[in-house]
Amino acid sequence: MYIRVKRNKSTYFIQCEPTETALSVKQKLHSLIDQPPSNQQLVLLGTNDVLEDSKTLADQKVENDSVVALALRKDDNAFEEIFIARPEDFMSSS
Amino acid sequence: MVGKGEAPAPRDPEEEEEEDTGGVVKLISAEGFEFVIDKKAAMVSNTLRNMLTSPGGFSETRQGEVRFPEISTHILEKICQYFYWSLHYSSGQETAEFPIEPEITLDLMMAANYLDT
Repeated sequence: MYIRVKRNKSTYFIQCEPTETALSVKQKLHSLIDQPPSNQQLVLLGTNDVLEDSKTLADQKVENDSVVALALRKDDNAFEEIFIARPEDFMSSS
Repeated sequence: MVGKGEAPAPRDPEEEEEEDTGGVVKLISAEGFEFVIDKKAAMVSNTLRNMLTSPGGFSETRQGEVRFPEISTHILEKICQYFYWSLHYSSGQETAEFPIEPEITLDLMMAANYLDT
């Protein structure tokens, strides 16, 4: 299966298995965004549940084609607010 | 017979493998949204496959980015979903419907035609 990890204007398609842990997904993201798993927070869209590293995706109701929001750690050590840009706000005006 | 000496050194060693399906590519929509997908998913599109594997390479693909100024974000996302659906489906066993909302059908068909997918 795959999930879509979104932050701002970026979407990362991540191939994964239901038996994988959230940490494993974060490790895959690490290679794409240069941020270690400890600086990532994943939130399942719809339920707004923060994914726990040690639990599997299936346990946390993350299914094929699920959309997961990514928040990164800020300088003050807290995680940033979740923000996913909408294409409607960027319609080309030509 | 001019210029039959040494072939110019390949500029980018990563381009040497013709069927290099590792890594990711970034597809950028009309509104500047980015979709990062596995190269092997992008290869579902013959247009992208040609871009990614042609010797010498397109300048965009050497940087791992392809811009689609004519494809809107919604359509490009749907196309990426289709790539992954297709990867899964072509591996056999199970089949599933690929859902397409009626209102995007025409745009999606035009993009699919362009991408030869």
